Amino acid sequence: MTRVWGRVLRYVVLLAVLVITVGPFLWQLSTSLKGRTEDIYTFPPRLLPRHPTLGNYKGVADIVPVWSYALNSLTVAVANVVTNLVGASLAGYALARLRFRGRGAATLAFVLALLVPLESIVIAQLTLMRQLGLNNTLIAVVLPGCVGAMNVLLMRDAFGHLPYETEEAAVIDGAGVWQRFARISLPSVKGTLAVVAVFSFMGSWDDFLWPLIVLSDSSKFTLTVGLNYLHGTFSSNQRLVAAGTVIAVAPLVVMFACLQRYFFRGVAEGSVKG
Amino acid sequence: MRPSHQARTHRAASPWLFLLPGLAVIAVFDLYPFLTTVWHSFTDARTLLPGHWVGLRNFQDMLHDDQFWTALRNSTLYVALVVPCTVLLPLLLALLVQPRIRFVGFFRAAFYTPVLASVVVVALIWNWMLDDRGLVNGILHALGAGPVPFLGDGWLLLFSAMALTVWKGLGYYMVIYLAALANVPRELHEAASVDGAGAVRRFLSVTVPSVRSTMVLVGALSSVAAFKVFSEVFLMAGPTGGPAGADTTLVMLVERTGTGLSGRVGYASALSLVVFVITLALMLLVLRAGRGEDAP
Amino acid sequence: MPISRGTRSHKAVGAALPLFLAAAALTACGGNADGGSSADGKVAGDISFQTWNLRANYKDYFNGLIARFEKEYPDTKVRWIDQPADHYADKLSADAAGGTLPDVVNVSPDLAYPLAKAGVLVNLDKEPASTKYKDEYTPEAWQANEMPGLNGGYAFPWYLNTGPLFYNRALFAQAGLDPDKPPRTYDELFADANTMARHSGGRVATLAATPAIEDFGRYGVRLMNADATEFTYNEPRGVELLTRYKQLYDNGALDAQALTNGPEESGQKFLEQKVAMNPGSAHDLSNFKENAPTLYKNLGIADAPNNTGHPNMYVMGLGINNGSRHKPAAIAFAYFVTDRQNQESVAHKVAIFPSTRGSLDEPYWTKDDGTDEGRVRVAAAKILKGAVNYTPVVMSDEMKTVLQNQVALALQGRKSPKQALDDAVARGDELLKQG
Repeated sequence: MTRVWGRVLRYVVLLAVLVITVGPFLWQLSTSLKGRTEDIYTFPPRLLPRHPTLGNYKGVADIVPVWSYALNSLTVAVANVVTNLVGASLAGYALARLRFRGRGAATLAFVLALLVPLESIVIAQLTLMRQLGLNNTLIAVVLPGCVGAMNVLLMRDAFGHLPYETEEAAVIDGAGVWQRFARISLPSVKGTLAVVAVFSFMGSWDDFLWPLIVLSDSSKFTLTVGLNYLHGTFSSNQRLVAAGTVIAVAPLVVMFACLQRYFFRGVAEGSVKG
Repeated sequence: MRPSHQARTHRAASPWLFLLPGLAVIAVFDLYPFLTTVWHSFTDARTLLPGHWVGLRNFQDMLHDDQFWTALRNSTLYVALVVPCTVLLPLLLALLVQPRIRFVGFFRAAFYTPVLASVVVVALIWNWMLDDRGLVNGILHALGAGPVPFLGDGWLLLFSAMALTVWKGLGYYMVIYLAALANVPRELHEAASVDGAGAVRRFLSVTVPSVRSTMVLVGALSSVAAFKVFSEVFLMAGPTGGPAGADTTLVMLVERTGTGLSGRVGYASALSLVVFVITLALMLLVLRAGRGEDAP
Repeated sequence: MPISRGTRSHKAVGAALPLFLAAAALTACGGNADGGSSADGKVAGDISFQTWNLRANYKDYFNGLIARFEKEYPDTKVRWIDQPADHYADKLSADAAGGTLPDVVNVSPDLAYPLAKAGVLVNLDKEPASTKYKDEYTPEAWQANEMPGLNGGYAFPWYLNTGPLFYNRALFAQAGLDPDKPPRTYDELFADANTMARHSGGRVATLAATPAIEDFGRYGVRLMNADATEFTYNEPRGVELLTRYKQLYDNGALDAQALTNGPEESGQKFLEQKVAMNPGSAHDLSNFKENAPTLYKNLGIADAPNNTGHPNMYVMGLGINNGSRHKPAAIAFAYFVTDRQNQESVAHKVAIFPSTRGSLDEPYWTKDDGTDEGRVRVAAAKILKGAVNYTPVVMSDEMKTVLQNQVALALQGRKSPKQALDDAVARGDELLKQG
């Protein structure tokens, strides 16, 4: 009996948290679907649009070349995921599993990098990009974040949890360090890899300031920068802005909805059973 | 690489090859630029005007700057109140969605939505909800309570921003905990359950010790993030930091003094340096506190 | 973006950037000193032209404009860059410091001042190629870009804007006020606001924002000394204005969230009919019509009061990069964009106003065509004659924040209005000296 009640209670709590976490987004979605004739500032607010319309989405596409900006964002985000997976897992593995002089110093370097207030170094980064001849390119958008210190530390944590016995067996079998990394350790931390992948994708997708600073050519803009055009100089249309935010969030939600099974399965099963 | 038949498990150069991409990126794009900030903190540089060496004057000015003390207080409060929540609530949430029950996949994904949306979007929605005549006050009104000035009162604004930070971080840290919980052998929990251990005791005696190192990591990450809080307060309290600037945080002060075409780069750099040193100390403190049983 | 209803809250994430600029600026300025060509040469070469958030809605206009210019000067080629709304100042400072500022840049006076001071913009009064056009603009518009201590104008005046006070007729009627008689003076404004608060039991405020520097200016307060080296807004008139606002705040006639409202929030509250009056401009009409049809039906339009005979206006301009390699072409283009014909044509498309001499005497700006837009346009054009830009260009954002915070302390009753303004002036002067 208690089991049943426990389960009911669990679902009640789950539903409550659901309202708190997702509710606000439904409001934004609702605003984006309201037509021109509907007052969006009445009180009390109305959640369901009276005459739902997709007109605002068309309006956004008329002002901003949404598709090409989305493609730029996607390119940058995918590149960011790949470089972070490779760079962070390599570095995380070395920090967690290899014994060598300077390991403490190397770990500290990543911790320090995590603490640097990013906002204060943007201009120096821009100057660097200019010296490298990379400003106004998508490569420049990716580079500074291509191996995040945070991801390195997450990978270090993940590799640190692996039991040593498996690797020791491989050492006895004569496996080299690269083989142990690629064949034994890496497959065991799939969960954290999935976490790093999602974090890097999101971080890159939502980034605004850096792409704005480093890109001048509007054809190269990423989606977050481009959607900023919706805040018109002469008037802002709240419905268009709402539609724009939905466009910005929707790909992430869709991507996440598709991947979440693998993501959470990875999270839950990736590690070696203890 | 050929399998090595030597006693040591890797070649001396290997670790550095592993570290090369990561170290190179952070050295070039994070650490080296930061040295410039350190240098600027001893000058009176302006955004478009070069600076002169002024020694410790920027740091002395700070001592007499009321806004600095307000900001230091707010950033410290942020850590003190937000971090316990971001360490505990996501862990509870992770435990809630860990078992394989029906629809759990849906709930996990849904709880992650606030993480997906950018903080700008989220803050706009919150501002609307917490307004004098917004949704929350509408509900309070229906319950017979007077309007609460969430966005008009300095303290309430700060607490609202904290709530937003916790809310937005729930899904993020939940995922980190889920990954860690996966490492806790299921048998441990089940054994405890057979023993008839209560949920609370099970939580304290089985779960907490087994995810201790992750709690430390989450604690360290969220203290650093909380001390450097910017967006949430900036967006809810406004760029000037709430009524009479009472909600200004340190990074907001850095932004206010250092940006724009007439920014006081020297002073802002000195503030950045203070933020850096305090977060470093915080991080070391949390890591040390957790070190005790950290080793596997 | 002085024209916009503020995208303040979107400035958002990650802002503290130009911490590295100073060193870079040094090299950039060094390069500029002799890098730029003379302005008297032939109008030729490739130039870049940067606008601020105009691409989305006015793409065709600008492409057409550029095509006509290139036809007139076949040796030139103009590359148009448009920057989005947020972080424009940061983008400008990054480019100025890195030596990649476009040849012609869209600036407001407060953006032009630091650029001019750093030697990045051309002094148009010193270049024969540009001084000859000076008389084609209204003196007020040209003066708005004259920088104290820098002897000259640093941007071609482009479009102007000002606006009436919009009010909510329904809320006025509910409070027993005559919707056909909106307040015309400060006395009437404050009296009506207090009536409104009393009748609604404090539920409806009349104003949503605390007084900013331009409000002190319109009230007749002397803001700075003659050579713009010291603030003077703590004079008795300033204290009087703040004291009256304090009464409004205590009575509930000033919105309870006024201390934190930015322009965007104030506008929002007016849209949501929580506040009865709000300053605005002609292009707000379409916004009201579209987003708040119920409000639009009850919309009233009144002149914003002032005690000086000079209403307030906002000015946009085009500055020339001092390091431009094709200065003659840059100047020719900036003049082309801001000449009478082109200013008038753009002002027919958008609800803004030309800064060229005589333009506002055209029937388009003097004859009410019976539409709401026409009414607001004619009213605003009338205001603009003799309007000035009150905001001192030397007043940085940080100094504005100092004032705002001290005003808030006074409204909260934690300081007397006199003390608050004295403190704001003292701190402002201190910051001014450091600059």
